[in-house]
Amino acid sequence: MAVDLPRHGAAPSRSSHPDPRLERLLAHPALWRAGSAARVPVWPSGFAPLDEALPGGGWPRSGLIEILPARWGQGELRLMLPALAAITSRSEARWCVWVAPPLQPFAPALAGAGMALTRLLIARAPPHARRAAALWAIEQALGSGACDSVLAWAKDAPARQIRRLQLAAQRGNALGVLFRPRESAREASPAMLRVALEPRRGGVRVTLLKSRGGARGALDLRWEDHERT
Amino acid sequence: MNVPRTMDLFAPADAPASLPARSAPQTLVRPVAPREAPRRSTAPSGVPLWLGVHVPALAAQTAVDASRILQSLATRAQRFTPRISLAPPDGLLLEVRSSLHLFGGVEGLRRAMAGECAQLSQTATLAFAPTPLAALAGARAGRPFEVLDTAQLTGSLAPLPIAALRWPEELIGRLACLGVRTIGQALRLPRAGFAQRFGAARLADLDRLTGRADDPRERFEAPVRFRRRRELPCESASHALLTAALRPLLDELGRFLAARQCGVLALEYRLWHRHAAPTCCVLRLGTPLADAAQLAQLLEERLRTLALPEPARACELRAGLPVPRVVQSSGLWQPGERGGLAAASGVDLIERLRARLGPEALEALALVPDHRPESAWRVVKPEACLASEAGTPHRPSLGAGHPARASGVGAHRFAVRPLWLLPQPRLLRQRDGLPRWRGALRLEGEPERIETGWWDGRDIARDYYNARDMHGRRLWLFREREPPHRWFLQGLELLNLSDTP
Repeated sequence: MAVDLPRHGAAPSRSSHPDPRLERLLAHPALWRAGSAARVPVWPSGFAPLDEALPGGGWPRSGLIEILPARWGQGELRLMLPALAAITSRSEARWCVWVAPPLQPFAPALAGAGMALTRLLIARAPPHARRAAALWAIEQALGSGACDSVLAWAKDAPARQIRRLQLAAQRGNALGVLFRPRESAREASPAMLRVALEPRRGGVRVTLLKSRGGARGALDLRWEDHERT
Repeated sequence: MNVPRTMDLFAPADAPASLPARSAPQTLVRPVAPREAPRRSTAPSGVPLWLGVHVPALAAQTAVDASRILQSLATRAQRFTPRISLAPPDGLLLEVRSSLHLFGGVEGLRRAMAGECAQLSQTATLAFAPTPLAALAGARAGRPFEVLDTAQLTGSLAPLPIAALRWPEELIGRLACLGVRTIGQALRLPRAGFAQRFGAARLADLDRLTGRADDPRERFEAPVRFRRRRELPCESASHALLTAALRPLLDELGRFLAARQCGVLALEYRLWHRHAAPTCCVLRLGTPLADAAQLAQLLEERLRTLALPEPARACELRAGLPVPRVVQSSGLWQPGERGGLAAASGVDLIERLRARLGPEALEALALVPDHRPESAWRVVKPEACLASEAGTPHRPSLGAGHPARASGVGAHRFAVRPLWLLPQPRLLRQRDGLPRWRGALRLEGEPERIETGWWDGRDIARDYYNARDMHGRRLWLFREREPPHRWFLQGLELLNLSDTP
């Protein structure tokens, strides 16, 4: 399943040492190891192989991540959907804001996948000044503290703006997901995590381009991995 | 203690000779002081306590200015008590017995009220007394005057100068000729003789002063709608200056609303120009708001997108009718924290996004029990979500909660459905009877038939196919059952609903 994923970055809880004394020492909460520097609170992604590869074992709870599909509609939303379903269905769930989605989200499918529609808020940017308004809305939503997650579709966002979004996400303790075209992988980005997507039959190939405190590499996910569990 | 006895000797007990004539008072503040009150040793809670406010500087102002300042002072004072009376031109009366505890006693109230006066750059002398007239006289005398108990009132009034009663100069002169210079000396005069010499109205004044007679006061009613205009220091089109000019107006509005425990649903910020017609910036809110800082934030977002024809010279803030607002208790946890509810800041976010993106820019989705993809959902206002949030914790998946949710998903339960819907189905080109969209498409699986809808005139008859394009995307197509059997693309990113938990 994991294609060429280097394993040295796995979380310490999963690694086992032969010496129990060393194990005990390493389990001390004050001890941080280089490979597991990012002990961040996370949302499980819903795909076990992906959780293993992501720093901390899932999508970060506060911070900005980028998902870069080669083309819209290649499974980028489906990749997030199990996590979104889990996030929105908690009793203390905050908003899940979608800023400037390219098409109309189909409510029956979202509800069928387990998303709570009562937590979903869709913000449409006005046609004039679309980019500026959308970036503003993303930053407001991320920084407001009223959102668990903010999904945004941004064609072109300068790195400086993305840095602002990353700071806003940390301020508002929210997960920001920025869907950007594959070409923007060439630009540097301050996002915590950058994930490229390519469709595969019955699934998707996820390439971790950047992963703060985690491993890099590619792995194939099958949709059934989630659907069966 | 012989002063009260003298008064008793000459008491024609019920002798309020005449009540002051008033122009149709609508609401009267009627002190409920019982006649026995002076004999009690401790002040019962039913006895009113008046805070008299005297603003000496107002006497020098023009009548219009003085009345404006007095009105705004009264509006500010409404946070202490609803029972406020104006004593023009330079006095204000607040009945504060029931507010003492909340505002930290006499000292706390005195400090708070002095603070309100200082906000208007006025200095005032304050006095506490069980009757309104005594409170005013005490304040005008300018000495520390604090009488909480009716029993001590007459004694405490005695050293005050008679001029504090604001009687006509000529009368005060005549009293001075008799050697009467203080209120105590006036009270010691025989009642019958006093009334004969100086008029029954003056005797009634003294009775009201000491609490022997009722002293009904007209209650101050602040204007119903908020409306303030302010000239700008210079003509300007600068956003920063216009926002700065807005702040004091909004602060005033915030106090105005707080006194009424109300919020506003609509605000209008008007900018006046030298030549052009005034520019209006209207803010409409989903829920009543009263917080000045929040309103400022929203209005500033609107201002940012406003185009001015020319520099503005004055600005005006008009609020819609105040709407009663239920003040919700704030939670122990902040919204970002574990256990913190998002309700309050959720509303805040909605308003802020709406202010900049437009009133229709925010939407939420709801399910409709229908089998046709176009009719199986609808756009609702986000407030609908807030309403449902207030109830029990919702269940995400099928089942309880929204009735539409259960049945709406049920119709699509064992099917493949797209996550994205095109706004309009897109007509696809065909080659050899097969659809093409930016290249050849490969059809997968069995078609699914969705038809009928005669009841609302949107009858459909379609065979839905799953397809995969050359980029590996999964598409949702349909073919019309009627000739000419056209192909349409309707959705993207398919999801197998029967497999999801």
